[in-house]
Amino acid sequence: MDRDALLGLESLNQLALTPEEQDEMLAFFAAREADWESLAQVDTANVERMVHVRPMVNVLREDVPSQPFSREDLLAQAPESMDGYWQVPRVLQ
Amino acid sequence: MTAYETVIGLEVHVELATKSKIFCSCTNGSDAEPNTHVCPACCGMPGMLPVANRQVINLGMTAGMMLNCHINRTTTFDKKSYYYPDLPASYQTTQWFAPIAVNGYVTIQTEDGPKDIRVKQIHMEEDAGKLVHDNWSYTTLVDFNRTSVPLIEIVSQPDLRSADEVVAYLERLRSLLRFAKVSGARMEKGTMRADVNLSVRPAGSDVLGVRTEMKNMASIAAIRRAIEYETARHIDAIENGIEELVQETRGWDDDAGKSFAMRNKETAGDYRYFPDPNIMPVVIDDEWYDRIRESLPELPEVKLERYVAQVGLSDYDAGILAQSRAFCDCFEGAMAVGAAPKEAANWIITNCTGILNKRGLTSEDLPVPGKALGQLIGLVNDGKVSSANGKRLLETLFDLDSRGEDIPEDMVAFAEAEGLVNSSDTGALEAVVAAVIAADPETAQAYRDGREKALNPLFGACMKQLKGKCDTQVLRSLLIAELSK
Repeated sequence: MDRDALLGLESLNQLALTPEEQDEMLAFFAAREADWESLAQVDTANVERMVHVRPMVNVLREDVPSQPFSREDLLAQAPESMDGYWQVPRVLQ
Repeated sequence: MTAYETVIGLEVHVELATKSKIFCSCTNGSDAEPNTHVCPACCGMPGMLPVANRQVINLGMTAGMMLNCHINRTTTFDKKSYYYPDLPASYQTTQWFAPIAVNGYVTIQTEDGPKDIRVKQIHMEEDAGKLVHDNWSYTTLVDFNRTSVPLIEIVSQPDLRSADEVVAYLERLRSLLRFAKVSGARMEKGTMRADVNLSVRPAGSDVLGVRTEMKNMASIAAIRRAIEYETARHIDAIENGIEELVQETRGWDDDAGKSFAMRNKETAGDYRYFPDPNIMPVVIDDEWYDRIRESLPELPEVKLERYVAQVGLSDYDAGILAQSRAFCDCFEGAMAVGAAPKEAANWIITNCTGILNKRGLTSEDLPVPGKALGQLIGLVNDGKVSSANGKRLLETLFDLDSRGEDIPEDMVAFAEAEGLVNSSDTGALEAVVAAVIAADPETAQAYRDGREKALNPLFGACMKQLKGKCDTQVLRSLLIAELSK
């Protein structure tokens, strides 16, 4: 992870890190990369790709609609709402 | 002068025809009042657990089989990260590592004959919400009704070479998905949308040019115009160098007839795909696979051939019916209750289409079950309902559907309830005939003197008094008999 890659991630996540925070993150990633490199020592040549950490499959539900929550219940969780909509800062200039 | 070749690949999003959303049980109906089909799961509340809808997997498999794909027997869901208020969880649940279907093809007809367009993959995913930007300068409003509505994305290989081929591909795709009841695939309603990836290169080159993507195109006519414009823009940039081509996402302004830069295209890495730990893998065993395979519909071209060769329709009639799954279902349903094929076809092509056109509906909107149409045709043929009242009854079925009411199972009882069954009381008919003749002795005498056309106004006057409710053959016979006395 170099500074350019970090800036890219910052932009994707809409963050604005201070130079000190950037240094801290770069040091963090460098340490993690060292950890991951140690994994490369394990021989995985004959190991099948693990699809999921749990041994369960086909946890599915039938296509039956239900509406257990009202709009009021949901909008009560919104920081701000207007006319039945969730309200967020304007995203188009 | 250099000849150029346009290279186009499409990503087509299609909304699946399920009753509920892909990962929660909220109703799949995004046209409702804002935020009325929402729950903590599709609003991305922390701690909520999504559970996949079995019917989404069924329809994903169906689409894969219709497009000649290999079905991945173990298919998994993954998280695609992006940060935007229409996606409350800050990631979209989609398929990246093991999509439901891969390596298929769609055959289109071109000027040079049939051409296979390879399908790279079909993956299942959730739709995003809708943002409302208008009217307010300081805020954006969010409607989550569409969030988690199930979609499939059909990704083609860059095998398309012209706007004509793209249109043929989209029309074929739409027809196959409608016939299999995977989706209504209505571009005008936003249930089918296409992203057009386009680049231009000198003819004969095997190196791809700079690719731009036009997102969320929702009309075939607009797609054609956008491809023609974008091809010209690329060639101009290559030849004149005034504008530098960059890989980017562009929007299409159909009114202005121009594309415009939106944002630099993310790379796959930017989305930071990773397996969704909350959704268990789906494993499709032979029984499930075979069940879906056996449920596949007859293809439109096979129906067309059968309607001509076995049912005896003309190429023209069969061609019209085979364009629409709803038409085919109605036609076959009517025949199943005894309607003659030609007659059933005529009712659909003439009467039903007339009503559909008048109401601004398409052939896929036909609400009349085949059984109802077949019974209606039988009532008219048996003289129990006049032809005019038969058409009135047909129109009433459309009215019922538009009000969300059920179409009646028994058309005989329905015709009686509507008061449109012909009177079988010959005495009543004779009384009307006698009264009409008595009221217009001059016309009656003219008929008796040999002017056969004089029968028509007398017949019309009888029909008026009977309000159209009579067997016209019987009435005509009675009228002639009375005048001959």
